[in-house]
Amino acid sequence: MKRSHLILLAVGIVLALALPRILYSALALRIISWALFAVSVDLLLGYGGMLSFGHAAFWGGGGYAAALLAKTFQLPFPIAVLGGTIVAMALAAPIGYLAIRRRGIYFAMVTLAFAQMLFYLVNEWRDVTGGENGVQAVPKLLLPGLSVSRTADFYYAALPLVVVGFLLAYRIVHSPFGHVLVSIRENESRAQALGYATWRYKLVAFVLSGGLAGLAGSVFAIGNSFASLDLLHWTTSGSVVLMTVLGGMGTLWGSAVGAAIVLLLEDQLSSFTDASGVVTGAILVAIVIFFRRGLWPTLSDLVRRTASSPGGA
Amino acid sequence: MKRVLALTMLFVLVATACGAAAPGGGGTAPQVKLTDGKLVLAVLNDQSLVYADLSGKNAVEAVKMAVEDFKAKYGENALGGPVEVITADHQNKPDLASSKAQEFYERNNADAIFDVPTSSAALAVAKVAGDQKRIYMNITAATTDLTGANCNKYTFHYAYDTYMLAAGTGKWATENLGKQWYIIYPNYAFGQDMEKSFRGAVEKNGGKVIQSDGSPFPNTTGDFSQLLLKAAQLKPQVLGAMQAGGDLVNVVKQYNEFKLKDQNIKLAIGLLFDTDITALGADAFAGVVYTTPWVWSMDDQSRQFADKFLKRTGIRPTFAHAGNYSAAWQYMEAIRRAGSDDADAVVKQLEGYKFSDFFIRNGLVRPEDHWVQHDALLAQVKPSSEAKEKFDYSKVLATIPAETASRPLADAGCKMPK
Amino acid sequence: MDLGYLSVLLFNGLVNGAFYALLSLGLAIIFGVMRVVNFAHGAFYMLGAFAAYLLLQQAGIPFWPALLIAPLAVGLGGAVCERLLLRRLYTLDPLYSFLLTFGLTIFIQDAMRLRFGIQGQPYPLPGELASSVSLGLVSYPAYRLFVIAFSLAVCVAVWYVIERTRLGMVVRAATERTELTRALGIDVDRWITGVFAFGIALAALAGVLAAPMRNVSPLMGSELIILTFAVVVIGGLGSIAGAVAAGFLAGLLASVGAIFDPAIENVIVFALMAVILLVRPAGLFGSQEAA
Repeated sequence: MKRSHLILLAVGIVLALALPRILYSALALRIISWALFAVSVDLLLGYGGMLSFGHAAFWGGGGYAAALLAKTFQLPFPIAVLGGTIVAMALAAPIGYLAIRRRGIYFAMVTLAFAQMLFYLVNEWRDVTGGENGVQAVPKLLLPGLSVSRTADFYYAALPLVVVGFLLAYRIVHSPFGHVLVSIRENESRAQALGYATWRYKLVAFVLSGGLAGLAGSVFAIGNSFASLDLLHWTTSGSVVLMTVLGGMGTLWGSAVGAAIVLLLEDQLSSFTDASGVVTGAILVAIVIFFRRGLWPTLSDLVRRTASSPGGA
Repeated sequence: MKRVLALTMLFVLVATACGAAAPGGGGTAPQVKLTDGKLVLAVLNDQSLVYADLSGKNAVEAVKMAVEDFKAKYGENALGGPVEVITADHQNKPDLASSKAQEFYERNNADAIFDVPTSSAALAVAKVAGDQKRIYMNITAATTDLTGANCNKYTFHYAYDTYMLAAGTGKWATENLGKQWYIIYPNYAFGQDMEKSFRGAVEKNGGKVIQSDGSPFPNTTGDFSQLLLKAAQLKPQVLGAMQAGGDLVNVVKQYNEFKLKDQNIKLAIGLLFDTDITALGADAFAGVVYTTPWVWSMDDQSRQFADKFLKRTGIRPTFAHAGNYSAAWQYMEAIRRAGSDDADAVVKQLEGYKFSDFFIRNGLVRPEDHWVQHDALLAQVKPSSEAKEKFDYSKVLATIPAETASRPLADAGCKMPK
Repeated sequence: MDLGYLSVLLFNGLVNGAFYALLSLGLAIIFGVMRVVNFAHGAFYMLGAFAAYLLLQQAGIPFWPALLIAPLAVGLGGAVCERLLLRRLYTLDPLYSFLLTFGLTIFIQDAMRLRFGIQGQPYPLPGELASSVSLGLVSYPAYRLFVIAFSLAVCVAVWYVIERTRLGMVVRAATERTELTRALGIDVDRWITGVFAFGIALAALAGVLAAPMRNVSPLMGSELIILTFAVVVIGGLGSIAGAVAAGFLAGLLASVGAIFDPAIENVIVFALMAVILLVRPAGLFGSQEAA
């Protein structure tokens, strides 16, 4: 890991540790879960060039699986989260296998279609999923018999899992695998000509990304004590893409920052105005028109420029 | 009809008399000690999506009105300190609702949360209330799970639930409109609940549900003609429509378009808000019978509230607005009786409490499951020619006694945690 | 089940198909020429219905003139959006215009909700078509028959313009061989604003047609747009005939599927879309190159 990245990581972890004190713990939990979710989308979009408009399937699929595991078997949450992650990857494998045969906007549409089907399926299968009411009253156990029901406690108990997820994403994009992925994004035929079985790389990236989304969704669902249909709705897929683009695609850190900003905004708007849609919509339009590289690249450019010109202009 | 009116008048008289004679009414206020020096009421509801009109911002206004009126009645210091009303828009997202509820309780020191439409959001908030040991009074969510499998010591269910709606309309329509039913319901928790409750009510009264079908959720096209055509095919005497809000408006619009009324298929509606009638015009609904906890024009007492509400918001209150006012009022009354806003003390005062106000008649807070039982009304939509003024949509046909309108305790399945 | 019921079901499928067809036709034209996946299409559909409502409420203008005026007005609004916003994004990844129209949708819906509330506004059936027509076995609402006939006529007219006129030639060329068309010196950009406005006007037209049948509410297009995407993909993104055919096909399939389970409607269209994308990626009518 580069030194600058280590510093960033340290700053990030300190910030994450302080977050429940700066904000309130439920919001802090939302932020770290969505941040990891946005990172999983960035892994696919920013590095693999694949826009998934159906990532809610893995976030929600993982969330439902983890909630059901924790509730039915009274499992400690780290195990339930692991289960949710595995289920999300199991969902991502066939969906990814089919979706990566298409590119661009078609890829987005295929992922959307599968996510929608999962949404309807979960709604229909209400004996297990509770339909629109969702899976309610999910216990938050750290060890069998030891509950971390206060959100603040759960936050610190779950933070290591999220950090591990983030480090995994970091590891993936900075590995040889990640470099091949980027070269596929840049020019797939060239990568093929160089002898890479590109579809295999894309599939693995898709499954890994789905797994991270599932990990994030599992933490989110258990932290909330419920999983509901909202997790799987297409607007969830839309929101997470928005976070990634706002933060800056292909930066990982940026997606996390984007998630934090969108959630803080949502939190504030919900308390102070009933016109949240007007504001959110206008901001999104403005970002795309004036600011489309995203926050992180713009900021890091600024930092770099100030750093390289001491005493600067 | 006359007898109902007379009875209602009697209630009003008795209620007013009781109110006046009640100890602590008026001047000599008992000392209330607030745990943190102030009382914070939080209204958490949908202010930007499907429930924004029928509850939303105006439900917040209703709670504010309750606070002002309470102070006007008992004096500025009636509750031993300042009273604050805070609010947030949960956009019908259960996770946002859960997060906001935690913020309210933890950061804003809210003493009670009110309203919370959408069953999934209400269940999430109930869980938070139980964990944090603070009070939550549900008004606009209809699920009986709040007083059933997911009940807890700090959650109260005010105004209405799916059982009440079915008990009133299901019985009346089976006796008066016909025994053969075809039920259509939106295929999500509320609709499934309603279907079950109505089926039970119809069968209990000697009717038969020939068939029932779920409509797609979410309904992307707003088209219900498949189901309405199936109704024309099955030729039931009664078509029971359990859709709510915009979906219901579509069902009724298309019911009229396909002229099912002319084919002698009568329409029974599960849940009807005044705002639905505004959307389509009273004539589209004329003659429809439905169950409701309250109609603004039902008597003088209610009308008084409705007049004040109209002046403030420009519309007549729906029962959700009135319910929020009443729930906030009764909550503050309980604080006065308890002499404290401590949640456990207030719960103790609420449990088993019998009361009536402009919204609740023959009220009883059931200690076993925290359902606030009260009389429900059977109402009928009038044609617009009979309306005396704007928003004058319905007349009351009958009162459904509180016991009949409430799910029997044995069926609730609530194991109240101590 | 008798023959009458079945035929009525088919008519219903055609009515729903008519809406899908009009909406996906507009989407397909916009995508074809501009490579923009217009998320705001459902919002413009809603604006069309509201335009009809306002014309009636504020100016007393009834359904028939509204059928012309509302699409023109909303189409004009579309042209403004194109000039002010979308124009800046053509050289970029289509992702950006997709996100822009996503933001636009949220904005428009919420602004309309602030002004008109959520519950919906009444809009009557046009008096001339309020009756039912006997079709031998069954009777069917006259207005619905009109919707089928009218939208079919519009689709055929649009197809004619695109297949048989010079305007259409440019559009077609730009759709199928964008780079080549530019290389031949045809100024595609000049046509773009008009094409976008036209696609939007089609959505608004669908909205006006919907007003007498469906709740006129700010959210009326919000779920519909996702389904329409599926329809366009089934027909082949950018294929005119495909959009229309897939629209009616989806309507009919959902209608017939409802015999078995009314709740199945949503799933059928998405399942069909997944199958089409895997078996015939360019869509039913799309050219293979586009995929």
